[in-house]
Amino acid sequence: MLKMTHLQKVYRTHLIETHALRDFSIHVREGEFVAVTGPSGSGKTTFLNIAGLLEEFTGGEFRLDGVDVAGLDDNARSKLRNEKIGFIFQSFNLIPDLNLFDNVDVPLRYRGFAAADRKKRIEESLSRVGLASRMKHYPSELSGGQQQRVAIARALAGSPRLLMADEPTGNLDSLMARGVMELLEEVNRQGTTIIMVTHDPELAARAQRNVHVIDGQVTDFEEAPKLRDPGAPARGAEAVAANG
Amino acid sequence: MEIRPIFSALMRSKVSMVLIGLQVALTLAIVCNALFIISQRLEQMNRPSGMNEADTFTFGSTGFGQGFDAFATQAADLALLRQMPGVAAAAPTNSMPLSGGGWSTGVSLQPQQKTPTTSTTIYIVDSHAIDAFDTQLVAGRAFKPEEIERKDFGDRLQPRVVIVSKALGDALFPNGDALGKEVYLGEGPPTATIVGVVDRLQQPWTNSDTIENAMLVPAFMPYGTSTRYLVRTEPGRRDEVMKEVEVKLAEANTGRIIGRMRSMEETRRNAYSQDRAMAIILGVVIVALLGITALGIVGMASFWVAQRTRQIGTRRALGATKADILRYFQTENFIITTFGLVLGAILAYGFSLWLMDRYQSPRLPWHYVPIGFLCLWALGQLAVLGPALRASRVPPAVATRAV
Amino acid sequence: MFTYYLQLGIRSLRRNPILTLLMVIGIALGIAASMTTLTVMYLMGSDPIPWKSDKLFYVQLDNWGVDDAFYDDGRPPDQVTYRDAKALMEAGKADKQSAMFKLNLPVQPENAEIKPFQSLGRVAYSDFFGMFEPEFAFGGPWDRRQDAEHARVVVLGKDLNEKLFGGADSVGRTVRLSGTDYTIVGVLAEWNLRAKYYDLTNGAFNDPDEFFMPYTTGMDLRQRSTGNNSCFRSPGDGWDSYLDSDCVWQQFWVQLDSPERVAEYKGFLDSYVNEQKKLGRFERPLNNRLSDVNTWMADQRVVSRDVEVQTGLAFAFLAVCLVNTIGLLLAKFSRKAGEIGLRRALGASRRDVFAQYIIESGVVGLTGGVLGLLLTGLGLIGVRALYSQYKTVAQLDWTMVLLTVVLAIVAAIIAGLYPTWRACRVQPAAQLKI
Repeated sequence: MLKMTHLQKVYRTHLIETHALRDFSIHVREGEFVAVTGPSGSGKTTFLNIAGLLEEFTGGEFRLDGVDVAGLDDNARSKLRNEKIGFIFQSFNLIPDLNLFDNVDVPLRYRGFAAADRKKRIEESLSRVGLASRMKHYPSELSGGQQQRVAIARALAGSPRLLMADEPTGNLDSLMARGVMELLEEVNRQGTTIIMVTHDPELAARAQRNVHVIDGQVTDFEEAPKLRDPGAPARGAEAVAANG
Repeated sequence: MEIRPIFSALMRSKVSMVLIGLQVALTLAIVCNALFIISQRLEQMNRPSGMNEADTFTFGSTGFGQGFDAFATQAADLALLRQMPGVAAAAPTNSMPLSGGGWSTGVSLQPQQKTPTTSTTIYIVDSHAIDAFDTQLVAGRAFKPEEIERKDFGDRLQPRVVIVSKALGDALFPNGDALGKEVYLGEGPPTATIVGVVDRLQQPWTNSDTIENAMLVPAFMPYGTSTRYLVRTEPGRRDEVMKEVEVKLAEANTGRIIGRMRSMEETRRNAYSQDRAMAIILGVVIVALLGITALGIVGMASFWVAQRTRQIGTRRALGATKADILRYFQTENFIITTFGLVLGAILAYGFSLWLMDRYQSPRLPWHYVPIGFLCLWALGQLAVLGPALRASRVPPAVATRAV
Repeated sequence: MFTYYLQLGIRSLRRNPILTLLMVIGIALGIAASMTTLTVMYLMGSDPIPWKSDKLFYVQLDNWGVDDAFYDDGRPPDQVTYRDAKALMEAGKADKQSAMFKLNLPVQPENAEIKPFQSLGRVAYSDFFGMFEPEFAFGGPWDRRQDAEHARVVVLGKDLNEKLFGGADSVGRTVRLSGTDYTIVGVLAEWNLRAKYYDLTNGAFNDPDEFFMPYTTGMDLRQRSTGNNSCFRSPGDGWDSYLDSDCVWQQFWVQLDSPERVAEYKGFLDSYVNEQKKLGRFERPLNNRLSDVNTWMADQRVVSRDVEVQTGLAFAFLAVCLVNTIGLLLAKFSRKAGEIGLRRALGASRRDVFAQYIIESGVVGLTGGVLGLLLTGLGLIGVRALYSQYKTVAQLDWTMVLLTVVLAIVAAIIAGLYPTWRACRVQPAAQLKI
């Protein structure tokens, strides 16, 4: 699904070069739920930005769902982002002037779906997060947990192959955080690959696999998936098994 | 394009929409009406007077002291003028187009007519007048020297022959057969016969309703001790001849003052100075107004872009291309401008009605408003382009930045 | 606190120089446009003689043709005939009165170095000076006896005295006008008339009268006025039939010191016209008018339509500039939500926040006002260049300077009210979250 090999990211100002990522390699398989952890400044946000095609990298190779990302221009990256990736942000990033319906609509508009298709998808994904009845409400009328659910609905509405979550529970209290986490696990069970960046080890523990980033390098690369719930249909695990 | 969500987002922050909208509305209303006033003034200013204005000038002579003979002076002056090098033609006249002062009278077709058929200005001239005005004789003939009557100032003018402008001829005789017809000046006989028709000759007053109605009357009639002359020079020699005339005529007779020496070009400038001033002032207002409105849009749009940086980053992360972001702000500007323009159209007609009611100005022609729409749409798009481009350059990574 | 807020305001404005500049320029342009036109309109239309403008009356009598009114809307002729002027003067029913008209005469200076030139003056009765009260630099007006004697005397305007005598006291000397010598009895000081309100027939802003001569003396010249002569029927041949005709060419002013006197004079005019009707004159219905100075100026549209339209447009322009400023202030203040929240958390009351931001708006207004004043000065220079005849009315006086600055501050504060109100609504804690 996502494969980075010897990836490099160097920030240059005219005075200094900062190596945010050096020789960074990771392979996320289809259906996995991977948690990326690391202390502040370790490069995990840079990884997230590059993996989510929000930033370019300076060296190495990166294939997303079989596409070589290196040669893509800004428009192609936007398109790829739009089609293949769903984003969940720490601060939700809902657009305050749009109601829930229109918020979920945002990526679908850029996708160019027909109106009827969009409506169906919006309604489906909002009911999936349990907020179908509040479609006409504005983000400011919701609790933080509800807002993050809307963000999840927005991320899922375009049926992406990959969900990128950036500290999805960072701005939530523990009760709401649990609800959001359960929702993500549910989404993962239904087949969407998830990469979650977090500094919270407890949260990371709930993922199938943990990747630890320190100083721009992957230091901990667990091949074996941890299955918390052996009874669950572990598609991720199967995929891992099939692949490796 | 995504008009509906942009619109509903706008409705959540009505104030900014109202502010820019109001500005656009007032701008449209003012610009349309101001442009219309300018165009009316320009139209007025561009009307031809019917005479040669490039090579002509006028001046006055006023005698003083006992025993000043205005008739002898006039005859001597004309003789002197006509033999001066560079002078193509010279004639005495009491007034001329664009000068702002002159004589007018009613013209009737019947004796003792209760209200005159129309009114006209009278130019009291001699047989050289058509040549001096350099207007085109389209029918009939010029005055003959023997037709020029000597009149004391204050006596009634009772010309037997007159020459009319085509417009006056048509006003009196709509069939266009004025030549040879008889008309009454003021009240009562004797009648005057139209012996010539000139293509065009305006009245002295630029705001007259009957500006095209003029009549030439053959007479020598000084205004007290004053006479005015109209001189046409050979092309390009006007300024040189003016200086020469001033000196020569003053030398020829020291018992009078040569004054009010003015080229017809200067006379025209003076005649329309108010209209010109109005057009310039309104032009300045229009430019300043468009500038202010554009700056207002730039300011507000920059503010919105700054305020929504994160939102823009989010949109980029969710798959918007740079062009999508650019288009978002352009569409938003288009919606706000359109909203303002619709209001502005109403205001523009309201303004026009007020001007009609208070100043009897004509109705604003309909096409000004749609043209104004196009201009302000263009202005809005141009003004928003800078901020919108800045918005499109917001990197998508902004979305993951900590608050 | 005021100085503290002032400092804060100035510092805040200096932090966003471009936004501040936009606001200041917006206010300055709007103020300059409206003040330029307003100054012209105010000076054109302002009362030229406020202490007695309600006691001076312009007389109109409707002697026009039975079938054709002088003005389309039925107003009587704007001048009177010689015979009516003469009759009203002889009756002498007003407290002061004068018939008058303007006359162009050739001046032949004693000094041979100055070439003879034309001069525009006015013939009037001695009451003219008592009614319109010009100041004398030397000497004084002639008297009623000299009116009666057709005395060959003149009063010179400041400019003509300057030209002929270098500004010296010329009382007692003579000046030769059209071949006749006149004794100078007085010289006017500078007479700053914005509008030449006592004779509006050829525009209110033309050059001032250069000399004054007794009416009786002027009539002896048997010369028509240099102003408008209007006749509705031919006057016939010769000077005497012209004097006897219904042509109007003179102005007639009276001074009436009380409302009772006004009513009396009105009655007198009506009975005079009714007498004349018996002689076959005044065929139209009774339509006499007594207009005081301001009424007459309004009637004759001293403030031109163009100037009114310009003023209207200028204020609409100011409105646009204000809306513009509201938008920019809103932008500026809402960027400071964080700071406001912090101040509120540190104990600032809503009133404090309000005061701080209103004062900041006021500073913008003051700056805009000062710049606007400069631009108004430029605007008036422009108006003087465009309208040569408006020299007397395109001038800034202290009232207008003060009004400009006050208007700018008030405008900016009005523009700042809504943004400030919004700023005040920021909750103390809302912006402090990490």
